Amino acid sequence: MRKLLAVAAALFAASSFAQEPIKIGVITDRVGVSKPYSEPCTEGTLFGAAEINRRGGVLGRKIELLIEDDQSRPDISAALARKLIDQGAVFILSMSLTPATQQQQTVTMEAKTPQMTPMNSGDTLTTQLPNPYFWQTGPLGSIQIATLLAHARAQNLKRVALISDNSDLGQLLARFFRAGLEKSGIQIAAEEVVPRGATTAEPQMQKIRAANPDAMFMAGVLTAENVLIFKAYRQFGLKFPIHSSYNLSVPVYMSVAKGLIDGVTFVDAYDPDKPEVKQFIAEYTKATGKAPFNLHGYGYDGIMMVAEAIRRAGSTDKEKIREAMQQTSYAGVMGAKGMKYSFPEGKRAGFDPNGMVVRVYEGDRQGRVVHVGQK
Amino acid sequence: MQDFLELAVSAAASGCVYGLIALAYLLMIRPTGIINFAVGEWAMVGAFGGYLLLSEFEWPYPLGMAAVLVFMLMVGWLTERIAVRPLVERGAPLLAPILALLGMLVVFREAISVSFPPDPHPVPYALGIQHQSLFIIAVTSVVFIGVWLFFERTVAGKSFEAVAIHRRAAALMGINLSRVTALSFAGGAGAAGLAGLLVSPNVSAHYLMGVPLAIQGFTALVIGGVGRVEGALLGGLLLAFAEQLTVRYAPIPAGYAQGVPLLLLMLFLLLRPTGLLRAK
Amino acid sequence: MSPLLRWLGAALLLAGAAFFLSDYHNDVYRKLLLWVTLALSYNFLFGICGQIAFSHFAFYGIGAYSVVIFLFQFHLPFPLAILLGIALCILFALAVAIPSTRLEGFYLALATLALAQLFIVVLNEGGAVTGGPGGLANYKLPEFLGTRVRGPWYTAVIVLLLLGTLAVLWRLDRSWFGRACRAVRDNPEVAAAMGVDVARTKVIAFTLTSALAGVAGMVYAFVDNTVNPPIFGLDNAFLLLFMVIVGGAGRHAGAIIGAALLFLLPFVLSPLIGHHHVLVFGVLVVAAILLQPRGLVGLYDALRRHP
Repeated sequence: MRKLLAVAAALFAASSFAQEPIKIGVITDRVGVSKPYSEPCTEGTLFGAAEINRRGGVLGRKIELLIEDDQSRPDISAALARKLIDQGAVFILSMSLTPATQQQQTVTMEAKTPQMTPMNSGDTLTTQLPNPYFWQTGPLGSIQIATLLAHARAQNLKRVALISDNSDLGQLLARFFRAGLEKSGIQIAAEEVVPRGATTAEPQMQKIRAANPDAMFMAGVLTAENVLIFKAYRQFGLKFPIHSSYNLSVPVYMSVAKGLIDGVTFVDAYDPDKPEVKQFIAEYTKATGKAPFNLHGYGYDGIMMVAEAIRRAGSTDKEKIREAMQQTSYAGVMGAKGMKYSFPEGKRAGFDPNGMVVRVYEGDRQGRVVHVGQK
Repeated sequence: MQDFLELAVSAAASGCVYGLIALAYLLMIRPTGIINFAVGEWAMVGAFGGYLLLSEFEWPYPLGMAAVLVFMLMVGWLTERIAVRPLVERGAPLLAPILALLGMLVVFREAISVSFPPDPHPVPYALGIQHQSLFIIAVTSVVFIGVWLFFERTVAGKSFEAVAIHRRAAALMGINLSRVTALSFAGGAGAAGLAGLLVSPNVSAHYLMGVPLAIQGFTALVIGGVGRVEGALLGGLLLAFAEQLTVRYAPIPAGYAQGVPLLLLMLFLLLRPTGLLRAK
Repeated sequence: MSPLLRWLGAALLLAGAAFFLSDYHNDVYRKLLLWVTLALSYNFLFGICGQIAFSHFAFYGIGAYSVVIFLFQFHLPFPLAILLGIALCILFALAVAIPSTRLEGFYLALATLALAQLFIVVLNEGGAVTGGPGGLANYKLPEFLGTRVRGPWYTAVIVLLLLGTLAVLWRLDRSWFGRACRAVRDNPEVAAAMGVDVARTKVIAFTLTSALAGVAGMVYAFVDNTVNPPIFGLDNAFLLLFMVIVGGAGRHAGAIIGAALLFLLPFVLSPLIGHHHVLVFGVLVVAAILLQPRGLVGLYDALRRHP
């Protein structure tokens, strides 16, 4: 009898693997301006999906990723969202530009298909459209500035400078940084923009120098232009502390900004001392031969949360997935130690407001964590 | 006052870079009338060449710079061979090579984009960060003086002028048109590649750097005028000074300062399309 | 078959196809139709009138943004919003075209390049009015006569836009105005000697085609119900130019073929060769110009002549 049961169980397991895979759509950018960020994020997702499948899949079925390239063109992005839905995707992961994610929302809202961005940090993504099928687990700009300010409280800042670039995300982050600073009663003595394609940031930094700020906050996301800012800062021999958005957490600065970023603090969602991070780095390196960095973690957490939500929903029905997703409480790779992603009170931005850390560059390396959360 | 002096150096350096790109356009426009918008991408190729030889392989700076220059001369010559000569020989209208070169712009950019990782790449300084502006100004001065002397004092240079003034007459006088064209493209690529190499230690080498440089260089050309070599440098300096002085001193919000060079360009086009310096 | 029947037939065919396509294909189809519309008006400006301009997408954007802003920020009635949007396009086009008539060739290109960039700057700095870098969303097509046009019916609207644009341009092309444009393109001095008012012809051509682009933009605004700055950027302007070149400048059929090919190509190539498809594009454009400057239409003609 027991042998029969064992055989039956084995047959059952084998047959359930022969079931159709669960399709999850991924919209990323392989050729456009978002490529430096989208590529590692997608790699993290691929790694996560492979791991899920190795461990038995979701609800006994494998996960199949349908990957589309929107070339950072928002109008193509929306069309691709439709394509994925037509192909049977039950969830869409958006890892391209912020406006592209926005444009996909008009489609997912209409088609009642769950969509999530694990990477975008624009606050307006969950507020501009009343789309109950959309979630955002990237670290919001408002959380970034609040965390930075909490760390800088000891510096007793009265007047600061704010500098950004003219990219859409840079402008959006600048807006929320401004709001956060004003809410804390800190005066913005100078606000400057370095446009894409500039050959120098000296005029902007001269204006900031003339305003004599207590500190400078950087909200820009264009690497080359940020490097120009650092160069001018060093060239003028300026001394006030620099606090940057999470863009500085991308490792490229360690090679293009050598000798320029010692002492710069930045907000990050990646604590290298966290056990989950250490495990992630070890497993990823073993599987692919390359070491991951924080952008991979966003993609990894994203697919993990989607899989976990489907598991809790118990089916691939989109409504059930939506309800399950809203109830998420998940501890992932990203975030401070002990942080969980969750969507309390019907909100759809899931990154814990206390979940970011402030780190400092020590020499050219991304150094230790100096502050956690907003306290 | 100290601000202004610092700014003057910075604007002079940026102006030199724009001037070199404007020179690249000029070298090709004068004998052939062809506007080559791909000069921005040539600058990018020069920057990536600098990254490869100087950062990756760590060659000594003079050797690396010379190698990049030689490589760019070949790139220019090759571009002319592939995209321009077949059309000119067929007697195609002037528009055709201009459009073909727009296609080459995309080819260059994508070739670099698929060959290197997408992040910006560091390019080392010639003499250290504090002296880069002076280095740029020095190198540009040498180039412009050299080109000016070439056009004014050498027979080969004068043949360029002859072609610029009247192609058919020049051909009748025995000047080898296709050689002049090939040389002008090679020279243009050299100037553009040099500009890319000089500016990239500050802005790093990345595959999107081409189009903004092409536009800035063309604006400089319009301001300075196509007629004289000095015009390219003058246009570049004026543009850079206008840009940077506006950001520093104009009481307008930061975002609008980017519109200033564009407005300047439109103003020049409407009021003085031939540029500041007239041809002789 | 009388011309009117032919137009009706085409309309029915193109619009009817929308009802048989899935959501995704419908979306791609709509955007294809819009690109073809833009290519037709751009082809008239560039191929037939010989004016190189990079402002076409800026006018597309002016049309799109203005109709959304007038409707949802200023709450104007629908017909008024449309009229004002068209008026705005005409105003800007005149502001650019009239001074530019003194400029030739690449100077107009440069002025329109500057205009296109200024447009994006204005959009980004526009604060609450233009929605800044994030653009405007969360609006819907207003009801018209009690019903809301959506789905394949909206595709039919786009088909009407396309055919309307083609009809206007076709008539113009065959009229004296079209001949005047070609004369100005080929040799302005001779045209002037023949009594053509060169400046006026150029201005009318530029204003008309830009207004057509603006109208297309108004239709676009309700396709995705989102407008944001990246959609109307310079990259698309270059793509439009490439479409007209590859298809064959100066011929309506060329614009249609070029737009269809270059729009659909990434969808086909991307799954096959991943992110190298843009490189293929550039190579295609260069090859097209080298081998057949008259574009694909020219190739077709040549093949027909020497079978």
